[in-house]
Amino acid sequence: MNSYLDLQGIRKNYGTTAVLDDVCLQAAEGELVTLLGPSGCGKSTLLRCIAGLADLNGGRILLQGRDLERLAPRQREVGMVFQSYALFPNLTAGENIEYGLRMRGDSKRSRQRRTEELLALVDLEEKRDVYPHHLSGGQQQRIALARSLAVQPKLLLLDEPLSALDAQIRKNLRAEIRNIQKRLNMTTLFVTHDQEEALTMSDRVCIMNKGRIVQAGTPEEIYAKPRTEFAARFMGSYNVLTRPEAMRLFGRLEGSSDSFALRPESVKLIRPDEEEGARAGGKRIVEGTVDSVSVLGTILRYTVDSGGVRLTIDVLNDGRSIGIGERGSVRLALDPSQLLQLEQEGA
Amino acid sequence: MRNKKNRIRLQDRLWVLGLLPFAIMVLSFQLAPVWSMLTGSFRSDIDFSLTWHNYYTALHSPFYRKAIENSLLISSYSSLIGIAVGLACAYSVTRFSPAIRDRLLMLSNMTSNFAGVPLAFAYIILLGSNGMFTLLFKQWGWNAFAGFDLYSWTGLTLVYVYFQIPLSLLLLYPSFYGIREQWKEAASLLGANAWQFWRTVGMPILAPAIFGTLGILFANAMGAYATAYALVGGNYNLLAIRIGSLVSGDVANQPNLGSALAVLLACTTLLAVALNHGMTKRSARYLTGTARTAVPSRRERRRAARGALANAKEGMG
Amino acid sequence: MTERNGAGWGHRALQSMLLVYLLLPLAATAVYAFAREWQNTLLPKSWTLDWFGSMFRDTRFLEALWNSLYLCAISVGLSLIVMIPAVFVLTVYAPRLESLMKGIVVLPYAVPGVVAAVGLIRTYSSGPIDISGTTYLLIGAYFVAILPYMYQGIRNSLLTVSAPELMQAAGLLGAGPIRAFLTVVLPNIAPGIVVSTLLSFSVLFGEFVLTNMLVGAHIQTIQVYLYQRVGESGHLASAIAIAYFVFILIVSMALMKLGQRRSGRGKG
Repeated sequence: MNSYLDLQGIRKNYGTTAVLDDVCLQAAEGELVTLLGPSGCGKSTLLRCIAGLADLNGGRILLQGRDLERLAPRQREVGMVFQSYALFPNLTAGENIEYGLRMRGDSKRSRQRRTEELLALVDLEEKRDVYPHHLSGGQQQRIALARSLAVQPKLLLLDEPLSALDAQIRKNLRAEIRNIQKRLNMTTLFVTHDQEEALTMSDRVCIMNKGRIVQAGTPEEIYAKPRTEFAARFMGSYNVLTRPEAMRLFGRLEGSSDSFALRPESVKLIRPDEEEGARAGGKRIVEGTVDSVSVLGTILRYTVDSGGVRLTIDVLNDGRSIGIGERGSVRLALDPSQLLQLEQEGA
Repeated sequence: MRNKKNRIRLQDRLWVLGLLPFAIMVLSFQLAPVWSMLTGSFRSDIDFSLTWHNYYTALHSPFYRKAIENSLLISSYSSLIGIAVGLACAYSVTRFSPAIRDRLLMLSNMTSNFAGVPLAFAYIILLGSNGMFTLLFKQWGWNAFAGFDLYSWTGLTLVYVYFQIPLSLLLLYPSFYGIREQWKEAASLLGANAWQFWRTVGMPILAPAIFGTLGILFANAMGAYATAYALVGGNYNLLAIRIGSLVSGDVANQPNLGSALAVLLACTTLLAVALNHGMTKRSARYLTGTARTAVPSRRERRRAARGALANAKEGMG
Repeated sequence: MTERNGAGWGHRALQSMLLVYLLLPLAATAVYAFAREWQNTLLPKSWTLDWFGSMFRDTRFLEALWNSLYLCAISVGLSLIVMIPAVFVLTVYAPRLESLMKGIVVLPYAVPGVVAAVGLIRTYSSGPIDISGTTYLLIGAYFVAILPYMYQGIRNSLLTVSAPELMQAAGLLGAGPIRAFLTVVLPNIAPGIVVSTLLSFSVLFGEFVLTNMLVGAHIQTIQVYLYQRVGESGHLASAIAIAYFVFILIVSMALMKLGQRRSGRGKG
């Protein structure tokens, strides 16, 4: 299969430390692939390598079958939106969008037409003659997006474009970016450290750690089936259990894994009269003590100690379980089929 | 409440007391002289009547007109050369690691104290009629330099350039930190080469700083007295030298004409410094808010400003 | 475009040229100061320390040095006594007047020394107060010349230690304004003021035009003496210039060390 974007064995060292270690990644045309990982995992460096802003120490980057290695950034037909926008402060919003067209030598008329189009696309027509420092963060980000799209790049790179914005604006902009990306069928690599962002926006998510892609898949797969402990911890509040801990909770275990993951919403808090029904449904019942409760909007998050094992348990905040306070005893119903086996790190 | 009121009243009286010595000193040694100079410039040197004559002479007599013209020319040339060299050096110095950069800046700051009389003397040793390089060029037979004369206008410009370059470097280098690496990267991804980036983004952002620095350099050269005076005494026909000899010279003491010339000189330097002030405000617009990552630390800016002040004082020294 | 580790050879070459250019006049002066005889040859034939020796035996030099030192010390001291209370009072009690103050202190920076000299000569060479050619006039002129540095230094120090808040805190604890100023504010701004003191000192030490025009005929400072010596003995003048530069060097080093220590403390 010939992918639209094909990264083969990318390596990048700073001195003796490897920042990217044999990264392979394919993307189909029009796909939005997210690189998700903690800071320092190499995700931004990967973008910079693709853009030509950093040199490779090994591997090949193919875009529509063309090797990008020998090409300068300006010859790669790759657009990039930076975390800090990097708008030119001496140019207006319109002039910023027009910049790439000007460098390409487009005629003034076509430049103007295209600029208007893009201002309309990001819904900022009235800001054409405004300088960047008079725009809000969200507006600056939209102009930066429009600027990189103006030259119709073959690939769009987004380097944590939303991380400097407020939560509400971030949510709106997230939807807007996804919308525009789909409408233009723009192949996009999106870098973020926010798992929610990654899950809601992407066609595919690649979790990165220490310069490697540790797991790739659709958002559903990634969320439901983290393969390693790192992925399980990074994807949210998964309970990660060692083999003895899992043994203590479940009695007996399938497989030979050394660690296991348990989703916090898969554990149920039950009243004594529900016990029979749960047992009949194949659940395992254990006793526990509540350490703390916190209200996360629609969810109540309990920390429960059961025989020395600490579990995080999420319960829908529907008024049924309000009676359980700190230090209270509870019964937990565990579903063995929800216990995920994790692979050894780096295996 | 009552207590607070009392305190404020006490402080009212106190702060007047605190300002009193300052007011007396400034009045007697700054404002009174300025006033005396201004009024004097409108009085005739012959019969002390009110007149425009001094300004008329200053601007129409071929001798003084030439002095003004010479001063403007040498200031323009030396500042422009200073800006060009300073710009290249300032950009280059920001490419070094902070440790090396600081050492380079410290050196240029220190050599900039080497102005006025010692500087003129050093250039006589280097390029005077028996100077080291004059002899060297003669020995090598470099005829291109045979016509060079330190005591000519070219020679004086050369010496002026020497004190303009470090000043220009110290004033300009911080603004290069305002040019963020990501702007260059964004531009390169949008198809601009290095030259196009500097033409369309880099230089426009630097422009206020460049014009502002030009103002300071110009004022610096206009007011410079010691260097020219030490090189050939009163023989150069420069505005500052003319003023000096009109006021304290032994030959023709015409203090009122001197005052008029001094007022004209002060106007040009005030204008140049005002230009710098306006431009500083302007460049702040680009550099605040948008450039947080790469602006130099407060210490560096303070040091640059200090160097700049110390340098700008060539006119005094 | 690739990442850069350190500067390229072009930058190194440019900076080396700049260094040579800036150091050349100094080096030439130094060579001259140590040369026994230097006529019509590229470099001197023999070396000597005699010129430095005769410099210190030269009573006129020692007198000029003394003049420079005490005139600078008196002017800077006077400036400290006058400026600290003034800037303090303005910053703490009358911030509205600050722009006026700024306008006054920026004048000496924007107006060349030769212009200042014209005004001073006109004002004091005749009329009711005739102090022309005296140290009083020169000290007044020096006071004005260092206004910008003193103001900037004192004001920055006051703002870094947030003097208005310190005064309020001391006031709440029962200290009167003068007592609060002497016991709380002054000790805190002292290190910052040392910097502007040294800077002002080095500026005045290199001052020529005011000194020469106002009192040149009567009082000789280092700069004026150097100017007269240049015509007479080049070697001796070189020795003086080098001694002067070494002095300035020490002052700048001290300034830099102080600046580093201060900013280091500010961060920590």
